[in-house]
Amino acid sequence: MKQIVFELFANLERLAGSGTCSVQAHDEVGTVAEALALLARERPELAASLDRCACVAGDTIVRRADPVPADGRIALLPPVAGG
Amino acid sequence: MEHAVLSHDTVTVEPLLELNAHPECGGLALFVGTVRDHHEGRSVRHLTYTAHEPLAAKIIREVEAATREKYGVPYVRIMHRLGDLSIGDIAIVCVVRAPHRAEAFDACRYAVDAVKHGAPIWKEEFYNDGSSAFVEGCCIRDDMDDATARPHRHHSHTSHG
Repeated sequence: MKQIVFELFANLERLAGSGTCSVQAHDEVGTVAEALALLARERPELAASLDRCACVAGDTIVRRADPVPADGRIALLPPVAGG
Repeated sequence: MEHAVLSHDTVTVEPLLELNAHPECGGLALFVGTVRDHHEGRSVRHLTYTAHEPLAAKIIREVEAATREKYGVPYVRIMHRLGDLSIGDIAIVCVVRAPHRAEAFDACRYAVDAVKHGAPIWKEEFYNDGSSAFVEGCCIRDDMDDATARPHRHHSHTSHG
């Protein structure tokens, strides 16, 4: 088992009621997509919003097919509206 | 140290202009976005900008560099405000210095649009009736396939006129 920590922003943070949430993942959870699927099962209130989120490790966007970042942290960025 | 592109404090325009530099430039285009008191028919009392700051700063610097390259202009400077803003406060500043006005205007518009659509910054509006909402924005996933992609609504295009 490994812990995956999701950092939440904007409406996602509001839906979850906190700025981060964690899931315990079996070793077969290898990709960002698999981690998101696990999150959607454990936190159904977030599930509908995940599809339009970009995933970020550090300051770099990672893709669904990429491996879960080594530090187990994934930032979930919902659609943006600056300016 | 790299220049700041995000500010948690009030943004002042003057230091960003570099009017005493760039003698080859005969033009300066400036866009200042300020907080408006209404959005889609609702009265806005104030708003809050939040960001994924590491990626937002990186993307804004990339927009500055891409705009310089695309329009052949020597100076592009963008500053985006974060935190709690009141009506009339400065939300974003974009300055372009260029040899001539045409590329200055074009580059300024391009840079502001690119930040609005690409930098992970979110706007939560607080309305006069006591409610609040995040303004619907642009999905910045770069691996949406055709099966999941949906057209996004570009409300924010008109946020500052």
